[in-house]
Amino acid sequence: MKIIKAVYNFIVGDMVILVGVLLTVVVLALINNVSALAPLKDFSGPFLVLGVLSSLVATLSREAFPFYR
Amino acid sequence: MQWVVATAAFFASAVEFVEAFTIVLVVGVTVNWRSALLGALAAAATLALLVATLGVALVQWVPIDALRLVIGILLLLFGLKWLKNAILRYSGLKARHDEEAIYEQNRAELRARGAIDASSSRFDLFGFLLSYKSVLLEGLEVAFIVITFGVSAATSTVSRSSGIASAALGALLAGLLVILVGAFSRVPLSKVPENTLKFIVGIMLTTFGTFWTGEGFGVEWPLSDAFLLILVAIYLGASFSLVVWLKRVKKQQRDMAIQNQPAPTPAPTKEVLP
Repeated sequence: MKIIKAVYNFIVGDMVILVGVLLTVVVLALINNVSALAPLKDFSGPFLVLGVLSSLVATLSREAFPFYR
Repeated sequence: MQWVVATAAFFASAVEFVEAFTIVLVVGVTVNWRSALLGALAAAATLALLVATLGVALVQWVPIDALRLVIGILLLLFGLKWLKNAILRYSGLKARHDEEAIYEQNRAELRARGAIDASSSRFDLFGFLLSYKSVLLEGLEVAFIVITFGVSAATSTVSRSSGIASAALGALLAGLLVILVGAFSRVPLSKVPENTLKFIVGIMLTTFGTFWTGEGFGVEWPLSDAFLLILVAIYLGASFSLVVWLKRVKKQQRDMAIQNQPAPTPAPTKEVLP
């Protein structure tokens, strides 16, 4: 457990960033592998950038408004 | 030679080497230079071994597409962490890294440990381990960046080992520069704009992370590699807007705190008898 925590802290150390990026990746994987979502494939790039920016905004909001933690 | 990779590794390494240098300097001044330099050299050798073994293993065994996806995601996580901290420091919500304060704090801790004869050149295990640990910990991030950047930057015309070599060269130059400047000045390198460097590296890591994650998912970026510049512009613009927004939030919070403070009670006046 200590090793996992050390790796987590080394690479990201922030749950909001981790969840945000992983959610974005999961949605991109779905778009790429589910045929019903294939029409969205052209929007993968903008969606990725949007996901990254949303993660950044979310984690900074959490720091700026600690009352709501 | 891949200049973008070498430059990114140079900036990232410079920040980490400045932090490691502060601890080595403390050990050198407070314990002795022999233990401090031996510790730093041992850590540098460990890191070189790590880059060589892991780098070669990745180069030889893992297919480039899978590697780009995994490394892209790792770089995104790593880059967003750096970018978040840099933005928080710019907006004043987080204290800036103060090398002088760290230097004084470590020096006081070492002195509190007991009387040490700094003029002695006798090997001191504690000093060696402290120097080794600090260089290794700071250097691990450098090794991570060198390996990920080096391996992922490979294109059809440039081999992966050439990418690692470019990144390693950038890191090596940064290390040499920090050591040279530090050796001449013999003071903590507090004038190095650490936060600006961290901000630049955060932008670079996030940009490359996005680009390679996208490529891993089969995204065809418009303008090909030139789209990296557009990504840089997007993240720079977003970061500056976030800094402005957070500064405003901090100001509002400070104003509210001042307004909510209880008004000072007037001092009791003495009744003056006629």
